[in-house]
Amino acid sequence: MSGIVKWCVAAASILALFGVDAGPAAAQAAPKRGGTAIVGVSVAGATLNTQLTSAVTPLIIADLWASGLYKYDKTGAKKPQIASSWDISEDGKVYTFHLRPNLKWSDGHPFSSEDVAFTLKSFGQYNTYLVKVLPNIDRVETPDANTFVVRLKEPQSAALEGFDKEVFPLMPKHVYDGTDIPTNPANRAPVGMGPYKFVKWEEGRGITFTRNEHYWDQPRPYLDSVVAVFIPNVQQQQNALYRGEIDVLRPALPQVGRAIEQAKAKHAFDVREIKVNAAERLSLDINITRDMLAKPLVRQALLVAIDRERISKDVYQGLAFPAMNAIPEQFTMLTDPSVDYNKQFAFDPVRAGKMLDEAGFALKDGKRFSLDLTAAVNADAFYAEPAAQLIAANWRAIGIEVKLSLLEGQLWTNKVFKERNFDVSMVSLTARTDPLFGVDRSFLCNTSNVPYVNPTGYCNPELDAIAAKAAAVPTPERRQWYKQYEEIVARDMPHLTLTNARKFFAISSRFGGIDEELDLAFNGNPSMSNVWVK
Amino acid sequence: MVRHIAGHAAQALLLLVGVVIAIFCLLQLIPGDPVQAMVGDMPVPPALRAALEQRFHLNEPFLDRLFGYLSNVVHGDLGYSMNYRRPVIDILAERFPRTLLLAGAGYGFGILIGIAIGIHSAVTPHRSVDRGWSGLVLIGYAMPTFWVGQLLVIVFSIQLGWLPTQGMGPMISRAEGVDWLLERATYLVLPVATYTILETTRVARFMRASVAETLEQGYIVTARQKGLSRHEIIRGHVVRNSILPVITVMGYSFGTAMGGAVLLETVFSYPGVGSLMVEAVRARDTQVIVGVVILIACSVVVMNIVVDLLYAWLDPRIRVAAAPR
Repeated sequence: MSGIVKWCVAAASILALFGVDAGPAAAQAAPKRGGTAIVGVSVAGATLNTQLTSAVTPLIIADLWASGLYKYDKTGAKKPQIASSWDISEDGKVYTFHLRPNLKWSDGHPFSSEDVAFTLKSFGQYNTYLVKVLPNIDRVETPDANTFVVRLKEPQSAALEGFDKEVFPLMPKHVYDGTDIPTNPANRAPVGMGPYKFVKWEEGRGITFTRNEHYWDQPRPYLDSVVAVFIPNVQQQQNALYRGEIDVLRPALPQVGRAIEQAKAKHAFDVREIKVNAAERLSLDINITRDMLAKPLVRQALLVAIDRERISKDVYQGLAFPAMNAIPEQFTMLTDPSVDYNKQFAFDPVRAGKMLDEAGFALKDGKRFSLDLTAAVNADAFYAEPAAQLIAANWRAIGIEVKLSLLEGQLWTNKVFKERNFDVSMVSLTARTDPLFGVDRSFLCNTSNVPYVNPTGYCNPELDAIAAKAAAVPTPERRQWYKQYEEIVARDMPHLTLTNARKFFAISSRFGGIDEELDLAFNGNPSMSNVWVK
Repeated sequence: MVRHIAGHAAQALLLLVGVVIAIFCLLQLIPGDPVQAMVGDMPVPPALRAALEQRFHLNEPFLDRLFGYLSNVVHGDLGYSMNYRRPVIDILAERFPRTLLLAGAGYGFGILIGIAIGIHSAVTPHRSVDRGWSGLVLIGYAMPTFWVGQLLVIVFSIQLGWLPTQGMGPMISRAEGVDWLLERATYLVLPVATYTILETTRVARFMRASVAETLEQGYIVTARQKGLSRHEIIRGHVVRNSILPVITVMGYSFGTAMGGAVLLETVFSYPGVGSLMVEAVRARDTQVIVGVVILIACSVVVMNIVVDLLYAWLDPRIRVAAAPR
């Protein structure tokens, strides 16, 4: 019964997605100024500065106040922002960004290439993505106020992906120079190049922004102000959207089906899918230092035993799909479909049992071995408990005794990454804009106990070399290296990639310009600079 | 009476020191990493970790931090929040009045309605009425707060569209004066109603039992034989005597009631100390967690003193016994 209901919801969602395109009449209406938009977000923490955090709420809010050299459009292609164009030298070692002239920060202070160079030099070491590129940067140059040059030691085509708006929001030198950057008060009262200017942060309630008169993309933004309100409970976020108390929401996946139904019934808002999203993949880290998990065949058998189709349908309500291989489907230029878990490791409990027999774990008294499956069950991790239960049931069915340890996030972090005292750990990881930033961390050698970096004990210098090569070669050649990457991971299987989730935004129908507003990909969020009140 | 209260306050002070040390030790034992909480689900760059640990003294020995904190508290300084980047005392001063308003209103209505239901339920000559009340109270008592809250939102906000779903007021408002108050009040209706249901059921159960016991006392029989009317007996003899044990229970359960605010404020996105506590635990913002615990402990102590005073006011025997001889 519930399967049928969920199938219907999934079908309805697909229909709705095709049916919501605004008609030509709406597209032709002229933008006008005025009005306010209210964006619903979860709770923000210590900082709004996305150079220092990758948490979801600051990322959503950053699109309002920050700009970057470029951002991504809905196909995943780069779209100029502060840099009107850029060139890459023949040898792939020099990036030259041509900046728009005569721009100003939201506080009216003039902007120049000095600010860009300062951002890289001063924030790079604190930025979780840029620290991967930094060692390869030879020097940065600012030949004039409108030119910013990055010189790399070795060619690294993935490095360019580190200069987009999400990873590299521009920071004002006149605010941060000579201060303690991680604790500068501007991290909570930002000055940026985005469409809106920070006004005030009311703790526990929300953050108010007003139109940035110095925005580079005039006559945008059209709205007078934007307010981000904090609603920690996802159910209440949905209620507030339905009541029209908020205009924009990134609904949690379990709420999307209901949002689409309500959108159809009420015609007050649209629910749209971001087709090229930053992959959000449910995965299992396997501790290969454990005796029973040491053989790759056992780890492959664990994957074969999992019904990933069912996790996609039941846990994600049809809004995820079984992942193909180590490199996310969203990286259409990079992933190679020749490695396909859905064919090579399709759900087959009988085969999984035979693989375990072959690995030396034949059934003894109905049991092969036992393991501990751990996961973090935070309020926003709706998938954690049901997915862990399904996986445990799949494994028990082939004679593996499974003990579930569902822990609060920080306890889980401590157990898995700091103490490495786990057998199998479940986690949902974002791949961001390039495998260099979001995928490599799960597979490459790692001896540190830094959270969210490969805790499995797997270390293969061959894979590390291929990953470095794949990030370095010119873009058209990258795929052939990632093919080898995928093959090694499929062979050794230290980290099982299970499902890949989709992403949606709900936005009020009282705005015009929604198509343009949602022309975004990966970790992009509505900047509210393209919409106007109809 | 004064000596009695002073004794209570001295005891409370000792208790507070104990509570602070206990919470500090507990937070020390629970694994947690405020720097990771700030960065999110990505690796923390070593330079960022080093800078924040140094700035917020995260790596100092446990005893140094504990004694440093205790000495600050004695000087009236509740520390500095890593998550909000400002003094804890300022945050509490902003948030506590909101929780007090919410919990106070819910508590007040709950006690009044609960007492009324309890009395009616105990003195009614109709067994079916008593059973009806008891059934309703039991159902109310059994329903979890967050569920009641969601239910009220679905009916009054989503279906009927009368009231806002969450928050403590619009972020942008042009209303002034009485209009502003009314606007704010609409946001309070649902959370206060949820709180009231919770408190009413708690009080009603105690009150009914207490009144039933009073009715069997000898002085009630005497009053009846004196020829007093039913009304006069209930007002003059039953209520006053029955209310004492209820006040004791309500006074001591004030701490629990404050705990109830945590859930309620989360359901209604209400920015009081309850949601502050949830945010602080998630961010491992130690000084805020301890600050909230101190605040709640203090409010429980104050409530107990209020209960003592109420006792003396309601029952002359206690007033006489406590007076210096």
